[in-house]
Amino acid sequence: MSDTLPNFQLLRPDTIQAAVAILHDTENAKLCAGGTDLIVNMRRGLATPKALVDLTAIKEMQQITNDTEGLHIGAGVTLSELAQNTPHSAIAQAALAIAGPGHRFAATVGGNLCLDTRCQYYNQSHWWRKSNDFCLKYRGETCHVAPSGNRCRAAFTGDLAPAFLVLGAEVDIASPQGIRRIPLAELYSGDGTDYLTLADNEIVTKIHLPPGSAKSVYGKIRIRGALDFPLAGVAIAAKKSARETRFRIALTGTNSRPVLLDDPAPFTTNDSAETYFSALNKAVQKAASPQRSTITAPLYRKQSIGALAARLAQGLTND
Amino acid sequence: MIEPIKGTVVGQPVPLVDGIEKVTGKAVFTADLIAPDNLTGRILRSPVSHGRIIRIDTSKAEALEGVTAIVTGEDCAFTYGVIPIAMNEYPIARDRVRYRGEAVAAVAAVDARTAEAALELIELEIEELPAVYTPKESRAVGAELLHDNKPGNLEREVHHEFGNVEDGFASADLVSQEVFHCAEINHAQMEPHAALAEYDVSRDHLTLHSVSQVPFYVHLTLARCLEMDTSHIRVVKPFVGGGFGSRTETLNFEIIAALLARKAGGKVMMQLTREETFITHRGRPDTEVKMKIGLSKSGKITAAACEVVMSGGAYAGYGLVTILYAGALLHGIYDVPTIKYDGYRVYTNHPPCGAMRGHGTVDVRHAFECLLDRMARQLNLDPFEVRKANMLAAPMFTANGLMINSYGLPECLEKVKAASGWNERIGQMPEGRGLGMACSHYVSGAAKPVHWTGEPHAVVSMKLDFDGGITAFTGASDIGQGSTTIVAMAAAEILGVDLGRVRVLTNDSAVTPKDNGSYSSRVTFMVGNAAIEAAKAMREKLVAAAATKLDVSPDEVECEGESFFVAGSSQSALPFQDVAIAALASEGTINVKGTFTTPVEAQGGKHRGGAVGSTMGFSYAAQVVEVAVDPDTGQIAVDKVWVALDCGFAINPLAVEGQIEGSVWMGMGQGLSEETHYKNGLPVHGNFLDYRVPTIVESPDIEVHIVESIDPLGPFGAKEAGEGALSGFPPALANAVANAIQTDVNFLPLTPDRLLVALNKSRRAARRKEAS
Repeated sequence: MSDTLPNFQLLRPDTIQAAVAILHDTENAKLCAGGTDLIVNMRRGLATPKALVDLTAIKEMQQITNDTEGLHIGAGVTLSELAQNTPHSAIAQAALAIAGPGHRFAATVGGNLCLDTRCQYYNQSHWWRKSNDFCLKYRGETCHVAPSGNRCRAAFTGDLAPAFLVLGAEVDIASPQGIRRIPLAELYSGDGTDYLTLADNEIVTKIHLPPGSAKSVYGKIRIRGALDFPLAGVAIAAKKSARETRFRIALTGTNSRPVLLDDPAPFTTNDSAETYFSALNKAVQKAASPQRSTITAPLYRKQSIGALAARLAQGLTND
Repeated sequence: MIEPIKGTVVGQPVPLVDGIEKVTGKAVFTADLIAPDNLTGRILRSPVSHGRIIRIDTSKAEALEGVTAIVTGEDCAFTYGVIPIAMNEYPIARDRVRYRGEAVAAVAAVDARTAEAALELIELEIEELPAVYTPKESRAVGAELLHDNKPGNLEREVHHEFGNVEDGFASADLVSQEVFHCAEINHAQMEPHAALAEYDVSRDHLTLHSVSQVPFYVHLTLARCLEMDTSHIRVVKPFVGGGFGSRTETLNFEIIAALLARKAGGKVMMQLTREETFITHRGRPDTEVKMKIGLSKSGKITAAACEVVMSGGAYAGYGLVTILYAGALLHGIYDVPTIKYDGYRVYTNHPPCGAMRGHGTVDVRHAFECLLDRMARQLNLDPFEVRKANMLAAPMFTANGLMINSYGLPECLEKVKAASGWNERIGQMPEGRGLGMACSHYVSGAAKPVHWTGEPHAVVSMKLDFDGGITAFTGASDIGQGSTTIVAMAAAEILGVDLGRVRVLTNDSAVTPKDNGSYSSRVTFMVGNAAIEAAKAMREKLVAAAATKLDVSPDEVECEGESFFVAGSSQSALPFQDVAIAALASEGTINVKGTFTTPVEAQGGKHRGGAVGSTMGFSYAAQVVEVAVDPDTGQIAVDKVWVALDCGFAINPLAVEGQIEGSVWMGMGQGLSEETHYKNGLPVHGNFLDYRVPTIVESPDIEVHIVESIDPLGPFGAKEAGEGALSGFPPALANAVANAIQTDVNFLPLTPDRLLVALNKSRRAARRKEAS
């Protein structure tokens, strides 16, 4: 069996412009920051880049700044730095829910937002996938999760994306043409294979969060309290006024993209909490579309994330 | 009861003598032996679950530059296996493959990338055969046979009845039966498999460094499979990063590395990936246990009947021992007047199962302790009281001939009951929280080794030389459990010297005496006793020399604190160094040895299979587990564990505590989250994300109590300490969950998805009950 890294060229530009230029000029190059996901995948033969563009020397991608327009987080900020330097509970909780301390020391915000989608038929060794005729996401013809369909059902499992989504994040994308800014939701395509809307020569460089006073929370369904990718994850932001609470809810781990739900009707002082949060539970379950991409059954992921979302939302009204 | 011996060394908490190397990163493990001149070995594995090998063409791979040797099934016509009567596995498949991932060829090349490229160039043509993945499929009429000589795909069936169970059930006030399903699990030891094989062409000598728990068996198997004289083979075991039973038999990669090294005429490093380590398997089989118990109103067990079906994987391995253990260890813990056991070990097209910590007993103990708890509830009896109503009285022999000389279970029960505040808290727990308890036991070494030679079960030799150093030589494999430390402590205690004067050299067949290996918790008991005997022989020599110098008779001389003296005499004590010099003066370097042989009466009943389960003494454990269950997500938090283990005598209480914590923790893995998953025979779980070993986040506070019953045959009274507490955890967990959410479940592990399904089911049932 194999687990050896392929030969590749390692390039380490120190400006965004230089990184974009390398991406543009180099055939089959991949971006690498913490490498906590990519290197594992490369050992499994899931990527065979000719060149890795290491982003860790680009200082401007490693800063967190705060001004009247809000919070600006470089895509190269590590998860442990992010957890220590964000005023938003959901973001800190999501960052700390990722993998283990060692991973978070190296892994970055940009890496987690652009995390490759995952599936039990995809995140396997070369021998395994070859023995199973590969799969639609990589080198194969069939999606083993949904063989009758024609799209890949791998799940997006980044923990940060839903937290950023409920807080209204936008991202800067650098390309040879310059920098463009898009709402974070538009970074994702919804397809398990080509899961990002980025072109080959583009880099996510910065995340912008508007100023705001929303309270937020992130919760994650997983079997173990560390290491596991989310079987399902939910971020909720709540804006409270005298007579109502407005929620924004986003999911991860359940679909091929992070899902920002349509804003539910506000929870008002006239509502019965039981009825309201039971309806919210159902709305979350409806938006979640877990597939057999994990060894844990989809129904459990759907039911438990609905219940967790309702509980967390109710918790925010109590604060 | 014999009084515990609290010596100057034994009975004192001592950090493991080889611990410093491990925590400082200096310990050399097999994979660290990589050298500039070694070739790299890689294995080509079957892509299908079951099939006939039509053609293997290695010519393109051989032509690849940098490829030195390629081996296939053609290169070894000998089967291997740990049980002499059940050797049905080839190191590299010949003619047939029987599980996905079975080795079909292997390459040695100048580097890993070349070896891996060569694997891709090997042309493999296999005619697929129907595959069976469950005992039900395997045992179905007309199912494809994995082995032509095993009709019904049955590796072994066992039928034992001691007493008349029907009479026993007839005399009971309550008879209950439940079927439990326990998923297959793997040892998941930290160190992946690795072996370094070096072949000396000019001398026809082979040296193998490997991760084995049983270097002696590996040695014999290499001789068999390579048709070499054992004297031309040397097996060395460097530091090992855990075993838990995964390495208690020779594994194919060890033989393949040797075959490659010989063919290449050089040195081959074979390091398996984590996935391959999982595929090599030998874990605890997927097991269905049908358990039936009869109880009187007062909680006395009248009878037990148990049927076990194990999904054993594609080859025999330890299978027949596992299925025998499962029945034998129904005995030896409680006073059960009649016991019937029917066991079926079934072949399936999965990687072979084998021995794993708590070998054979864990799933059966789970079923027994869960069912007993439920019946206690029905009879309105406290679970502790039910256990106490069924205690044994040592010394005794069980119905199946197992010898019991010491029995600390009553004290274990008292300890954990008091420590957990059971009486005050049970029945008073808030919604969603629960307490559960269970008992367990395990053997202190199999009284009959699987490979019977007639030799003593353990030999330790000991040397005293000019430097005044005591060197103990043992073939016992320290795999992290602390056996090397036990040998050092035994020597220091008997010789009355500082622990620092004793060095222990282990596991080099060219240097150390043969040892059967680290399995069945045999090492402390057998090797410990051999070390004591060796040290006594050494002491005799030293005392004789001291006596001459002191001009007294040897029986007047005492040794303690690195000196020899005559008790009550004004004569000045002789320092150790002086006595050593005097002893060496008469005969030069002193070599002595000690041995241990199991007494015949410990070797089990006369019935077929009666040797399995037989031992010199059982450890006993009781534990209480406290949980909180999240009713919305089905997630269980284990908040606290109180555990007591009767290990006879804690030679090294620090190591005993660690072993108990490790047992509880490993039981927790099986209880909460660990299980293998296959898709048509492909292991989905071959990594540490999908095979869910608990993390430090799930680790509860474990309060350990050591009970010392002083076994008359044990070294300083000691019995085993490394396995006994494991099998109590899963049932104590399930019982605690039942206490928390009033829902009984019959599966392991208690993953949240399964638990939520069960919760929803019992909620629906409760609603129906309310409505009617």
